[in-house]
Amino acid sequence: MLRVKAMLRFKDVNLTKTLPFVLILVILVFVPPFLPDYFLSIFRDVLMWMALSISWHFFSGSTKYISLGSAAFFGIGLYFTAKYMELSMTYGYYPVLPLPVIVLLAGLVNFALALVVGLVTLRLRGIYFAILTFSVSMVVMNAVQWWEIKVTGTRGTFFPVFDTLTGYYAIFVCTIVTLLLTTLVRRSKFGLALKMIGESEEAAVHVGVNASLYKTLGFAISAMLMGFMGGCFATRVNGYVNTDIAFNSLYSFMPAVMTLLGGAGTVYGPVIGSITMSLLSAYLSVTLTHYFLIILGLILVVIVMLMPDGIMGMVEKIKTTKLFGSKKAT
Amino acid sequence: MLGAYVTAVVFTFYRVNPIVSLVISGPIVFVLGILIQIAVFRRLVYVSRSAEELESRSLLACFGLMFIIQNVVGLIFGGTPVGASYLFVSIDILGERFLLNMIVAAVISIILSLVMYLLLRFTKIGLAMRATVEEPAGAQLVGINIFRIHAVSFGLGALLAALAGSMLIMIYFMTPYVGPQYTFIALAVIILGGMGSFMGSLLGGFIIGYVYYVSLTIDPLITYAVVYLFIIILLIIRPKGLFGR
Repeated sequence: MLRVKAMLRFKDVNLTKTLPFVLILVILVFVPPFLPDYFLSIFRDVLMWMALSISWHFFSGSTKYISLGSAAFFGIGLYFTAKYMELSMTYGYYPVLPLPVIVLLAGLVNFALALVVGLVTLRLRGIYFAILTFSVSMVVMNAVQWWEIKVTGTRGTFFPVFDTLTGYYAIFVCTIVTLLLTTLVRRSKFGLALKMIGESEEAAVHVGVNASLYKTLGFAISAMLMGFMGGCFATRVNGYVNTDIAFNSLYSFMPAVMTLLGGAGTVYGPVIGSITMSLLSAYLSVTLTHYFLIILGLILVVIVMLMPDGIMGMVEKIKTTKLFGSKKAT
Repeated sequence: MLGAYVTAVVFTFYRVNPIVSLVISGPIVFVLGILIQIAVFRRLVYVSRSAEELESRSLLACFGLMFIIQNVVGLIFGGTPVGASYLFVSIDILGERFLLNMIVAAVISIILSLVMYLLLRFTKIGLAMRATVEEPAGAQLVGINIFRIHAVSFGLGALLAALAGSMLIMIYFMTPYVGPQYTFIALAVIILGGMGSFMGSLLGGFIIGYVYYVSLTIDPLITYAVVYLFIIILLIIRPKGLFGR
């Protein structure tokens, strides 16, 4: 009792700042069971893109090493989970594990793979790194496809279907984990090191930051988080997945696009960007089915031209110029 | 950067002989490229503070443009594959059998590469382009209008991509959505050869093509894995490409 009181009296907790977050959290936890499936699926997709963008931003946003290989890690997570479930359900080769454990395993597989990729690709910067990571995702996709067709003799994987609510909660938990982990790391020495590498790698090395170690580790953690999300995504694909679904290059590009839209280098950038983008596409795809991608493209171009620093950049600008007084951001 | 999907726009013109239509599709896309550059990228260049910023913003803008162009074309022509099969006959050269349209496309590509090389090396506008790439500020000092050069080079890039698309359509069927796959191969070729190196791109193109077809004869399923693995290995060995500085 005393402890709770002490926590409430804790000076640093700014009630006006934390209250909205708590509210949002409460809504996200308790409202979904009462929502119709369609809205639930929109919630779920927004959360999924958010988690992907955050994990992309965690590495690429702070170090400015633009990675276009997210699809590889996302797909491995998804495929690993799907394949494991298929094998354990149909053939009984493997013990039947609960979903969270499989997802955890998928994340660890990704972590290991990303460590190897990171170690190998450390020397490359800029567009070279982008091409290399994209190549990795293509190699993984085609190798998995080859293995599937040649060795198992099937195209795609079937596994049990989950209902929307389970899927929602899986993705929700995964998003929260991603958010917490990236925020914690961002505030630690590790996060600062990553940021410094992004600003000037030479200077970082000069002050004694072990750039290679932090870059590899950062890349691996980001990949692991994507793998978690990929694993949770298995609840969404209605029990069937093939390489074209799992390794779609959309998963490589969209996190980057969403983060840049929201504003790279800011805390809320990827969050705002992914919410905007996925809600927009969800809305437009229903109301203007045939013109939806055209309008999405137009909006992207206009946003780039009018708000080159992303949405958060615009908000910062408005705040500093005091155009609208001290209007609240977020 | 807009790459091969611009070619989808010129599908309609393929009631004409495809080789003649190169003369039609090229200029149209050239003008389109210049217009896009002036409308979108000029502003981006103007407001960006560093090359990195410009890169990420261009990526976003290109994504938007890709969505727009692909889907406008898709809206007009539909998603069904379109083709303009032409010269689809086989000929014998040195005892090997080739498709005539592939040979024609190869010859035209070689001629185009030569023209581009000469243009970049020996004309005034080519000199201006190279100067703009190497030292934008210095180029402006000696009186080069770098914004005009940006527009022209963007247009030329679009033109070449359009010509490549026009030739591909003689051989393969295409939908408005085939672009990204060619774009990435093209980008990989440039990176492989080393950025800013003309011979590098040429050689890179040959190498990628060779690896592609050799792996195709071994196992059609494994081609893309092999090609991209090859790119990865080469990049690890030579991080700046074959001829990179």
